[in-house]
Amino acid sequence: MSMDRMETTPAEQPVQSGKAATPLLELRDVNKHYGLNKVLINVCFHVGRAEILALLGDNGAGKSTAVKTISGVVQPDSGTLLWDGKPVALKAHTDAAELGIETIYQDSALVDSMTIARNIFMGRELVGPLGFMRMREMREIASHVLRTIVAIEGIDSPDKLVGSLSGGQKQAVAIARAVHFKRTLLVLDEPTSALAVRATEALFEYLRLLRTQGLSSVLVTHNLYDAYRICDRFVVMGRGQVVFQATQKETSIVELTEHVSRG
Amino acid sequence: MSLQQTTTDEAVVAAQRAKAAGRRYRRQQSAIDVLILFLIVIAISVIYGFISPDTFAFNSFANIQNALYTIPIEVGIPALGVGVLMIAGEFDLSVGINFIFSSIVMAQLATNGMNVWLAALIGLLIGTGIGLLNGLITLRLRIPSFIATLGTSFFWYAATFFVHGASSQPFSPDPAFAALTAGSVGVIPATFLWWVVLALAFWGLLERNRIGNHIFAVGGNKQAATATGVRVDRTKLLAFALTGTMAALGGILAASYIGNIAPSTGQALPLEAIAACVIGGLALTGGRGTILGIVLGSALIFWIRDVLLLIGAPGFYINAPIGILIIGAAAIYEILRARRA
Repeated sequence: MSMDRMETTPAEQPVQSGKAATPLLELRDVNKHYGLNKVLINVCFHVGRAEILALLGDNGAGKSTAVKTISGVVQPDSGTLLWDGKPVALKAHTDAAELGIETIYQDSALVDSMTIARNIFMGRELVGPLGFMRMREMREIASHVLRTIVAIEGIDSPDKLVGSLSGGQKQAVAIARAVHFKRTLLVLDEPTSALAVRATEALFEYLRLLRTQGLSSVLVTHNLYDAYRICDRFVVMGRGQVVFQATQKETSIVELTEHVSRG
Repeated sequence: MSLQQTTTDEAVVAAQRAKAAGRRYRRQQSAIDVLILFLIVIAISVIYGFISPDTFAFNSFANIQNALYTIPIEVGIPALGVGVLMIAGEFDLSVGINFIFSSIVMAQLATNGMNVWLAALIGLLIGTGIGLLNGLITLRLRIPSFIATLGTSFFWYAATFFVHGASSQPFSPDPAFAALTAGSVGVIPATFLWWVVLALAFWGLLERNRIGNHIFAVGGNKQAATATGVRVDRTKLLAFALTGTMAALGGILAASYIGNIAPSTGQALPLEAIAACVIGGLALTGGRGTILGIVLGSALIFWIRDVLLLIGAPGFYINAPIGILIIGAAAIYEILRARRA
């Protein structure tokens, strides 16, 4: 265990004066109910700069709703979201995307009938005069990000149709796209559930690299071991509430497991 | 040293493999299956035409030239617009009456003394406007375009009779206009050249332009397109407008070639254009298709009719084989798609 910890202790964060005090994203007293079912109850947590935050919890703990709130898909009944210290209203997915929040679901936002390269650059095409696409460049970059960022088996060409990929491969493409466009905050909802071991390692390696570049990630996962290896801080939810928060140094897998299973 | 050599070799092999895979995928995504089908049926017809030139005049100059003249204006040019709109996930059932209305207005204006070029420009603008209106109705009212354009097609039929009546409208443009729209370059008809140029332009738009990427995206997965910042409504509106423009252009070229426009024609065009697209491998659900497919689909529809006429089949039955071709093509594509997925 101690070996693991030594290996994965996050690199010393660069000290940022002034701004360091303001979290990148903060949820304050966020409530959400569906009918009588309260799914988020006074949820408060924040995501720091250059931080990988784990959002943990058993099924039905409210993780998904919390993630959807961050990505603008679900609007809270009450409470505040602060981005860079300023209150924001995320009325749609596009509002969140505009701030630089990218959410990656299982096979999120991909078009089956388009190639990988065209999917990666969808809506953000590299174009020359008159909107004509720089196809070769887009293909090369797509090839490169797939090889270096997600390193997943079975994707032999950026010209392959996304529809012919497996769930894990699709996820890899979505992740590759998000990291290539360097969003400020990546929200990854169970990103490794369909990934092979090697691809998971490559993804984590990349999240660490992004952290050194100042990007933050929220990792929603069932896999506590994965979370413990890579994340700087943990937020455990249970029955719609935040039940435990700790930094990596303050806690252990045993303690996290306890909080998750107790709910 | 030798280790380094091995790694370089491996990298070269991997790069070659990726290139080969890329070529294979690009071939799969092209309309190669339609092209093969097309070449087979043309080869059979040509061979049979040689064996029995008296009963099957397929290889005659007149037949070939007629095909090159007629395919673009009967279905080919409007089908380019209809196909792009289908890829964007929408339909336009008003292209038939758009084809008629735009060209009738143009011919009326020209006959009443307006400069024919200006009249043609107005015709094109009317066609584009009809397409735009279809788009606005579909997107603003959030109703299926199938219904919206069915509705507008009835409206424009009425409008055609209102502005013109039921009689046919003659159109005899000045020689320069006639040469450009209905003449020929050597033995190649102008309408065919228009079709080729437009098909290339549409190919560039769909496969090489950002707009094409957005058209595939909005038709293939609207949520995904929205999530990645593609302006869904604007992209669809553009596709509707292009469809209207192509319908009008088809109508104008046809008016110039035939010399008059009968208000009652054009009713079969919308479904025939959709049929050409389906034969060409476009998905009715949107997001999938190629320009080559649309072109070959249009040619195949004409080819069936041509062959049946040449062998002297009774006119009433000519549509039946087209129906079989549509169903057969759709079924074959579904099988191919399932196998590749």
